[in-house]
Amino acid sequence: MIISLFIGPSEVVGTYDILAWMKNLLIHSQELDHEKYEMVEAVVFNVRLPRVILVFLIGAALTVSGNSFQALFRNPLVSPDILGLSSGAAFGAALALVYPFLSLQITAFLFGLSAVGLSYFLAMTRRGVSTVSLILAGIIVSGIFTALLTILQFLTDPFKLQAIVHWTMGNLHNASWSKVKSSHIPIISGLIFLLVMRWRMNVIALGDEETRAVGLNPEREKILILLPAALIASSSVAVAGVIGMVGLAFPHMVRMMAGPDNRKTQPISIAFGGSLLLLVDNFSRTVTFFEIPIGIFTTLIGGPFFVYLLKTRQT
Amino acid sequence: MGISVKNLDFGYGKARILHDITLQVPDGKFSVLLGKNGSGKSTLLKIIAGLLPYKNGEIRILENDLHSLKSSEAAKLIGYLPQFHVPAFPFTVEEVVLTGRASYIYAVPGRRDTEKRDEAIEKVGIGWLRHRPYTELSGGERQLVMIARLLAQEPKVILLDEPLSHLDLSNQIRFLALIRELIVSGLTVMAVLHDPNVAFMQADHFILIKNGTIRHLEKNENPWDEPVLRDLYEVPVKTIPFQQRTLVIPV
Repeated sequence: MIISLFIGPSEVVGTYDILAWMKNLLIHSQELDHEKYEMVEAVVFNVRLPRVILVFLIGAALTVSGNSFQALFRNPLVSPDILGLSSGAAFGAALALVYPFLSLQITAFLFGLSAVGLSYFLAMTRRGVSTVSLILAGIIVSGIFTALLTILQFLTDPFKLQAIVHWTMGNLHNASWSKVKSSHIPIISGLIFLLVMRWRMNVIALGDEETRAVGLNPEREKILILLPAALIASSSVAVAGVIGMVGLAFPHMVRMMAGPDNRKTQPISIAFGGSLLLLVDNFSRTVTFFEIPIGIFTTLIGGPFFVYLLKTRQT
Repeated sequence: MGISVKNLDFGYGKARILHDITLQVPDGKFSVLLGKNGSGKSTLLKIIAGLLPYKNGEIRILENDLHSLKSSEAAKLIGYLPQFHVPAFPFTVEEVVLTGRASYIYAVPGRRDTEKRDEAIEKVGIGWLRHRPYTELSGGERQLVMIARLLAQEPKVILLDEPLSHLDLSNQIRFLALIRELIVSGLTVMAVLHDPNVAFMQADHFILIKNGTIRHLEKNENPWDEPVLRDLYEVPVKTIPFQQRTLVIPV
């Protein structure tokens, strides 16, 4: 995390300057020229630090959310996108970009949540909610919101169109303290709630009848996992756009390291998901002269990973 | 009484599956449900386990009305062995058995729960499987794991739906001995069994079900009588006496 503070495309401020600034901060020598000192401080505090915090939060949120969805639906190939959450939130955000009187964060969040709610409602039958119907409903809802988003892009003017396209690609280059401020409360509280639920997720993952037989109500437990998982994922989409494949691929890597026990995977998902996304972000902003939007980067890496999972999965 | 059911009706939509079931299962005994496939035995077991909601009739488990019990309270009274299926994640045997403790745990299992888990694993005799992934076990081994999970739950009444189906002969014999042990320690066990011979050898009490109703026995009838079995299974069978018991053979 600290290393990330030193990395970034800035012609004026180099790693050496930051080191000098830190040394200065620690031992209060007056060797540095004042103008440079202030610039370093600005870069570190107002650009890099909020970005590092935001990326860590988003990485943790998407990984934990993906892991929770996978346990909930008993399907390791499921991710927050499956429920139509990303499409819903993306449409909400696009709407806010076209009509500036809407708050970007809140609109994305509301549409993300309502997409999940809609999927869940569509999948509901008299005898409960089955996994297959929920995934099908998610595909339908996702399709509807994607179509709505396309209509919106079609109708809007080119300048706003560019903003929408940029946003749906998932990017973090305009991370700021205000974004950290607007997202850290829902993300951290959702993470804490899902940490409390971590062992119950083991019970749920075994099956509905198996859960009911030991005295838990599977429908109730599912909602208790679904709501916070949707909350943290849509908060991430609201601040950073669609960062694809993280919710799918990262939990898999965590399970490869720690096994399937959610008592271990939930806390590890926070640390590992946050750190790994930070690493990916460092790469995405340094491998070329310009920043590749991180959503593109993760999808490019995650796509082949998904194919690999499909081909090697035993069951 | 261990379990008492009064005037229970049950059906899906218009199809009636059980009509006017009234029965008593004695406390601390091994009772067996016998009947043809599709007669409603498994459905009855699931309703008593609290897995299927019923509207008409009354079910009491150790004198507690099933409708008035919260699901976590019910789970401490009744343990049900579900027809197993394979989970999507390779949980270890230990982790699967530990989920039996769910009704005692708020967030994360504590030391008492892991102790109960270890006791259950030892009782079923699957210590050598404990770190293996559940998904890689054979059908019979999985059955034993689910039974250990059931024991970790510490219920007073145990309901088993065809518990022998995936077990080989040695595991069947071990399992039946385990049931005997549980009965001796004061538990009530009720099982659906397909093999009437095993039932007649092992069980203390018999409930016969035909077409969704109880097939009552006359004063002079026994469940192992030829005419009773012929009526129940609707096929010709022969019985031969064997060590004060009766063996059933198809003809």
